[in-house]
Amino acid sequence: MKPYESKARYSGIAIALHWLTALLIVANLALGLSMVPLPISPRKLHWYAWHKWIGTTVFLLTWLRVGWRWVRPAPLPVPMTHWQRRAARASHLALYALLLLVPVSGWLYSSSTGVQVVYLGLLPLPDLVPADKTLAAALKAVHVSLNFVLAVLVCVHTAAALKHHFVDRDTALVRMLPGMRLRGSAQ
Amino acid sequence: MTMFLRSFIPSLAALLLAATNAGAQGLLIDKSEIRFVSKQLGVNVEGRFRKWKANIVFLPRDLGRSKAEFDIDLGSIDLASDESETEIKSPLWFDTRQFPVAHFASTSIRSVGGDRYEVAGRLTLKGVTKDIVVPIALKKDTAGNSVAEGSFLLRRGDYRIGEGMWADTELVDSGVVVRVRMVLPPLA
Repeated sequence: MKPYESKARYSGIAIALHWLTALLIVANLALGLSMVPLPISPRKLHWYAWHKWIGTTVFLLTWLRVGWRWVRPAPLPVPMTHWQRRAARASHLALYALLLLVPVSGWLYSSSTGVQVVYLGLLPLPDLVPADKTLAAALKAVHVSLNFVLAVLVCVHTAAALKHHFVDRDTALVRMLPGMRLRGSAQ
Repeated sequence: MTMFLRSFIPSLAALLLAATNAGAQGLLIDKSEIRFVSKQLGVNVEGRFRKWKANIVFLPRDLGRSKAEFDIDLGSIDLASDESETEIKSPLWFDTRQFPVAHFASTSIRSVGGDRYEVAGRLTLKGVTKDIVVPIALKKDTAGNSVAEGSFLLRRGDYRIGEGMWADTELVDSGVVVRVRMVLPPLA
């Protein structure tokens, strides 16, 4: 066994899933914010549909990531202080939770407005809540709030990765980048 | 006098017939409904009309005298969304300012066996009149009322509903399923 497991990289699949998720959630946040004020039009209907399909995709990808992480555990954390390790662990857990909760809140919100989510226009997701205006207003607030927390956490996550790379000069960021060889790594 | 009688008797007969029709088969309007389902990008969108009038005479033993007429207030559409309701009244869809009412009048009602019937008639919607056939099934509810349920597929393009930017049937399906449920008090 190598002495510094922290020099290990994430697997190719974990890296691909991470960056795909990153791309999808940033795109979907932008899409979500821009579609709401649009006047009713074919574009608006398409954007809403894509927003829901992307969200559902993120939900599915997240379960795939959790499953893959179970099969191929993440490399051990890079050396850092105890509180930093705890903070990193907590924020990663919260990110995973939000990647599941944000799409679920959107799905329930859509149902409560009377619009079923049909993934890719083919696969209907069940309506778990009834169409109800009061419920819809509450679920909208939940969806927006969860997104706000997710956006803040993504910023913290990004800032921490940059700090590890430029200030601590460790491999925390590089081991999640595709196609980069680690300095001093045998891999 | 004879002239008076000649004109009076038929009018009286017509009046009596109309009264009988109205009295005998007053539709239970609160239990009756006109609903529809359209499809947007694979998602079923349901709606109904809040206001409509019907004149229904349904005599299973005298289908020749049976008829069904509807006037549907298109502006009373319920789509559970104010935004959608405003849009669908606009010129590209129903254009309710020019065409506030949809009208259906049966031309014939025939039995197709058992409790099944076919109502043929003409539907006028947004200035377009087309012949349609609505298959219906007759049942009794627990209160002994007669419940006639039927549905038909309306091609929105036939009536210019959803024109211009909305014509794309990949976005909004061309087919709209219209469901009618009419509840009549027990037939004599």
